[in-house]
Amino acid sequence: MSIDSENLISLRINGKDISAPKSHSVIQALWYAGYPRVKGVGCLQGVCGSCRVLVRRAGSTKVTTELGCELLIEEGMDVHFLIYPTPPHQSYQLEDIRSSWEVQAKFHEIFPEAEQCRHCAGCTTTCPKGIDVERGVELASKGRFSEAGELFVECVMCNLCQTACPEMIAPNHVALFSRRVTAYFHIRPSNLINRLEIMRKGGLKVIE
Amino acid sequence: MAKGIPYNIALKHYRPQADRPMPRMEFGEELLHKYHPDYIRENCIDLTVGVNAGDPCHRQLAEVLQGDSRIDEADLAGSPEIETDVLVIGGGGAGCAAALEASLAGAKVILATKLRLGDSNTVMAEGGIQASVEKDDTPQKHYEDTLKGAHGELDRKLAAQMVMDGPEVIRWLIQQGMQFELDQYGDLMTRRAGGTSAPRVLYFRDYTGLEMMRVLREAVSNSNIEVLDYSPAVELLSDDSGHCAGAIFSSLKDYKYILVKARSVIVATGGIGRMHLNGFPTSNHFGATGDGLVLAYRLGAHLRDLDIFQYHPSGLAYPPHLAGTLITEGVRSAGAYLLNAGGERFIDELKPRDYVASAIIRECAEGRGVYAGDGKCGIWLDTPSIELREPGIIEKRFPKLLHLGTKCGIDPRKQPMLIYPTLHYQNGGVIIDQDGASSVPGLFCAGEVCGGVHGRNRLMGNSLLDIIAFGRRAGVAAAKRAHGFGRGPKKITIEHLRNFRRELMLANMPLTRKSPLLFPVYAKFDDDTDYDGLRKKLKIGLSNDQD
Ligand SMILES: Cc1cc2nc3c(=O)[nH]c(=O)nc-3n(C[C@H](O)[C@H](O)[C@H](O)COP(=O)(O)OP(=O)(O)OC[C@H]3O[C@@H](n4cnc5c(N)ncnc54)[C@H](O)[C@@H]3O)c2cc1C
Ligand code: SF4
Ligand code: SF4
Ligand code: FES
Repeated sequence: MSIDSENLISLRINGKDISAPKSHSVIQALWYAGYPRVKGVGCLQGVCGSCRVLVRRAGSTKVTTELGCELLIEEGMDVHFLIYPTPPHQSYQLEDIRSSWEVQAKFHEIFPEAEQCRHCAGCTTTCPKGIDVERGVELASKGRFSEAGELFVECVMCNLCQTACPEMIAPNHVALFSRRVTAYFHIRPSNLINRLEIMRKGGLKVIE
Repeated sequence: MAKGIPYNIALKHYRPQADRPMPRMEFGEELLHKYHPDYIRENCIDLTVGVNAGDPCHRQLAEVLQGDSRIDEADLAGSPEIETDVLVIGGGGAGCAAALEASLAGAKVILATKLRLGDSNTVMAEGGIQASVEKDDTPQKHYEDTLKGAHGELDRKLAAQMVMDGPEVIRWLIQQGMQFELDQYGDLMTRRAGGTSAPRVLYFRDYTGLEMMRVLREAVSNSNIEVLDYSPAVELLSDDSGHCAGAIFSSLKDYKYILVKARSVIVATGGIGRMHLNGFPTSNHFGATGDGLVLAYRLGAHLRDLDIFQYHPSGLAYPPHLAGTLITEGVRSAGAYLLNAGGERFIDELKPRDYVASAIIRECAEGRGVYAGDGKCGIWLDTPSIELREPGIIEKRFPKLLHLGTKCGIDPRKQPMLIYPTLHYQNGGVIIDQDGASSVPGLFCAGEVCGGVHGRNRLMGNSLLDIIAFGRRAGVAAAKRAHGFGRGPKKITIEHLRNFRRELMLANMPLTRKSPLLFPVYAKFDDDTDYDGLRKKLKIGLSNDQD
């Protein structure tokens, strides 16, 4: 890449002062400046949730959370990588829910904290994908799983909302539970079932 | 590369238009021979060391296959050891499917992955997954399309198995909690892909892989599978009869080696995009550095088709810092044209990928491309045309494309995107049977690391099917082998590395090249002071060896 030296932007990443050309992401900027960066890197496309960073912009005291592969550098930014997203603390098996009538009861057994949501919006503020996380938790608590799940189509499971929650709710896992039970209990496509039936009876073999 | 029309000028001349006629043009194999990067002669060499000696291989891949190990016996002393029935290496779709099935079959399973669980090519897949479910489609048609796309040169048994598994794979995914796009009656929606004779691609928005991966990751985290994340495998272990008996990992968390002894090992490490073959940008995730091929090859596993790779026609070419980022083929399936700088179509957009990519390269090479700066050209992906024909389609079906547009400062509903082929998929890889067994006993492989399923060219949507179909099969077979194992793993060694190193020296290969790569060069892993511990050992190991 040909670079105009006037176009270099100065910022601080993980305590190191670096300069890099504009329109670089913070990960690319680190590499450009010659610093190694392995942990906290993944798809480089904003879908794997590995590259979480804390950001403070010049002249502001506000700290925001973003994805390092999508965040373009700005003059005077201060960036810190947050590696190792916390693994989920709850555990469940979809097979243990016997029927869709039981889902709501099971949900509150698996996520007892969800009801304690104090509507502080911490999760929503922290979400780099702009998802209305708080609303999702509320809908799920009321048993409106399909609606709750719909809000999280773009969730990359970066776990930032979980880190932000003072009630130890794992909103992203609440949301994923909501999405999973929707598929598990309610997706029953007749075209697929018909095809499986024919094949179960030995039909539609492939001749090589 | 020949220069084309400068970006701003070409953009000014571009007019959105709903319909454009297809030029009458006939292409044969010569389009591929002349323009496809696989045919760059000087980049294809014959392997000289290992079981595939004499076979053609891309030069850059040959360098790592014929590289020297990062470790030595000295590194193993004092390293913690753990034991398991089944060890899965790689936390993408294939690895997770394998681990879930092996665990369900009652095996104790460890799944180790390079970085975070789910950081993979799987999570990035957009377009969808093939399975014949429509009434005017059959597994036979699916098979024939796959065969044709592969130019006939695939492992017919594997392809037949894959298409027969298709509908059951979809059922399994739904039972894991994965959602698909449904019509008003709750039936699966399908769309066409390049090279398919019936609509057969099932999808979830343009986030099919994201939806699949977050569900599979959640299923794994909620099972009793033990996950070792941030732990790249650096070598396999063998027993005294040369069978695979586990693997060695370097933990990025505490900078130590860990030995995992296992009765069966499943390698599911994915592809090679981040090796940037022929200097191409890539659509692949950060960890796609071909490690599994290197590990398996050193242990004696046979590989195939090491000279052919897939260059996806629509990688972003502008702006430069996002070069290589994929735009799903779904956009072309929906009817978006490819236009050269003169605003003309130049190929049937739904031809197999190798043809479309070659045609784009030809347009640019012959000066009909759009010049993007830095010596890079591209052609237009005419996204406004589909929006004109069906207003709202981009927002509804391609949210990820809109998001990408935002990052580029381009609204794809109004302005075309500049594209150029991007290194996308490793067609070849480890030879397996229908159970994912490689030619080395105890070593199973699944997913993109394998070869044969797609021959010389893969159709869109067949890889997501392949990884789940064979991932599950490998999981079941690996668990079965572990059960039949009688006593615990035998004595384990890295004897095979010694033998391989001897072969390298006999062939006068430099021992300075270390592989597997683990990370792309520009991430500077090998300069990272955090990992001095891992490297210091390496140096001692080497000097011992030369004594
Ligand atoms: C942008 C993009 C879009 C795509 N779209 C589609 C599509 O629409 N339809 C389709 O069918 N296919 C698509 N593909 C292809 C498909 O996604 C992949 O081929 C497939 O997901 C590969 O799955 P896998 O499990 O074999 O490998 P991956 O999903 O890549 O997983 C490999 C895993 O192994 C880990 N690993 C690698 N090396 C090591 C090591 N040394 N030690 C430990 N772990 C290691 C990696 O970190 C990763 O977690 C797309 C690919 C890309 C890149
Ligand atoms: S909902 Fe939570 S996990 Fe999902 S993207 Fe937002 S912050 Fe990340
Ligand atoms: S952060 Fe926790 S408590 Fe606050 S709104 Fe979100 S879920 Fe509720
Ligand atoms: S690297 Fe995957 S989201 Fe940033």
